[in-house]
Amino acid sequence: MIALRDVVVDYGRGARAVRAVDRVTLDVPRGQSVALIGPSGCGKSTLLFAVAGLIRPTAGEIRIADESVEGPRRDTALILQNAGLLPWKTVWQNANLSLFLGREYPKLTADAVLEELGLSDVKNRYPSELSEGMKRRVGIARALSTSPQVMLMDEPLASLDTLTKERIQDLFLKLWARHAFSFVLVTHDIEEAAFLGQRIVVLSARPASVKAVVDNPKMGGLDYRKAPAFRDVVLRLRTELERET
Amino acid sequence: MNRAKRAGRWLVERAEDRGVWRHVAIYAASVLLLLLFWEVASVVIRSLKGGREYLPNPIVAIREMIRLGPLLFTNFWISAWRLVLAILIAFATGYPLGLLVGHERRLDELISPIIYIVYPIPQVAFILILFLIFGIGHPVKVAIVAIALFFQLLVSARGAAKQISLEHITSVLSAGASRWQVYRHVVLPATLPSILTSLRVSIGLGMAFLYIAETAGAIDPERGGLGSFIKNSAYNTGAQFAGILAMALLGFCLYIIIDIVERIVCRWTYAARRSS
Repeated sequence: MIALRDVVVDYGRGARAVRAVDRVTLDVPRGQSVALIGPSGCGKSTLLFAVAGLIRPTAGEIRIADESVEGPRRDTALILQNAGLLPWKTVWQNANLSLFLGREYPKLTADAVLEELGLSDVKNRYPSELSEGMKRRVGIARALSTSPQVMLMDEPLASLDTLTKERIQDLFLKLWARHAFSFVLVTHDIEEAAFLGQRIVVLSARPASVKAVVDNPKMGGLDYRKAPAFRDVVLRLRTELERET
Repeated sequence: MNRAKRAGRWLVERAEDRGVWRHVAIYAASVLLLLLFWEVASVVIRSLKGGREYLPNPIVAIREMIRLGPLLFTNFWISAWRLVLAILIAFATGYPLGLLVGHERRLDELISPIIYIVYPIPQVAFILILFLIFGIGHPVKVAIVAIALFFQLLVSARGAAKQISLEHITSVLSAGASRWQVYRHVVLPATLPSILTSLRVSIGLGMAFLYIAETAGAIDPERGGLGSFIKNSAYNTGAQFAGILAMALLGFCLYIIIDIVERIVCRWTYAARRSS
């Protein structure tokens, strides 16, 4: 579904160019999930923004559904770090942002999505009136409202308390099972990567390049956090992240 | 009749819900406080100046206001519509241009030096040439105020547009927004609260420029606006202060209008205050 071939992203030009992403090759089959994990500021968000069509790669190619990515796509949704909600729009308006922007999506009705995420009661509120956890759920609702084939997430649950975070991770797992999208999750949270990624790609410090790929075939259950396999994956990820080079 | 009563009761209840009565009471108290200060100042100045009435007390001014009612009222309306028209012209031109300059980097590089050179010039310095261009009627008064406020709003809009969070822009771009939609859904609403604040500042500034415009050159005592009314009453301090009171009232009305507009177009900022 998503294919990256030797993707390079440089910021700036000529002698002052800084490399953020260095020759990353990656495949995400339809309906599968991949977590990208790496140290803060390593360039993993840059990579994700390139997949979202917001940044043009300096070299290499990104394809989604066998088409080269030239800009933001109708079948791809991006969830940002702080949900990216617009403070001047209500929950309902935020959830329907893409529809507000006037494009014809093969959409679920927004009300159904809000209902699914337990947000019906607050749909006329503004983001500033919501708890952090609710805001992130509105961000997910916004992404889902367009029935995307591909979901891209840039540390969507950063800075939430553990229980809220795990509750939204559970919710996300259910949504993934129900809506069958492919997703790429960027995170610096080892447990989140192990809980949500079928495959976890460990990135190096800047410029980001693939350091290791950890398979995580047993993920998918809500009680996976208690399984020995989960702990093994977490341990492996930690070792890979700590390894020099 | 019953219906009217119900509607009346509904209005009163709505007002109570929103704490309107509390606001009215606080406003009244603060107006009383101001009048008290005025009275004290008037007494102090009179005793210092050997009983001469340089600063009339508020009662004298209000009595003059009533006596000169119709004339004052005519001039009030003339000044009011000049000021409002000038604000609208400045807003309709300075705000969008400021947003463009603040948001588009290339344009900023080109236009900002011009702003930095022209903005600090007191726009009244052009008053003579404006009189030559527009004549001595209404247009020149509106033009002076509009030009001054144009720069004021341009500079604040540009500043506000530069403060916009990149996250909000990324958010709408990833949802497929066009360039125009970024303005419509992010740049415009994000800058509204600060542009309304700067509009409030503009009222005071606009009033000062209007006074200058209305008192420069020939004065028409009947229909010259509050500025010429005040200047024309140089030998009747009571009437002069009646004119000043009318100017204060004009400013006050405009502030209230901006407050109401803000409550409508920036609802989310009130939601944020409510919940914190």
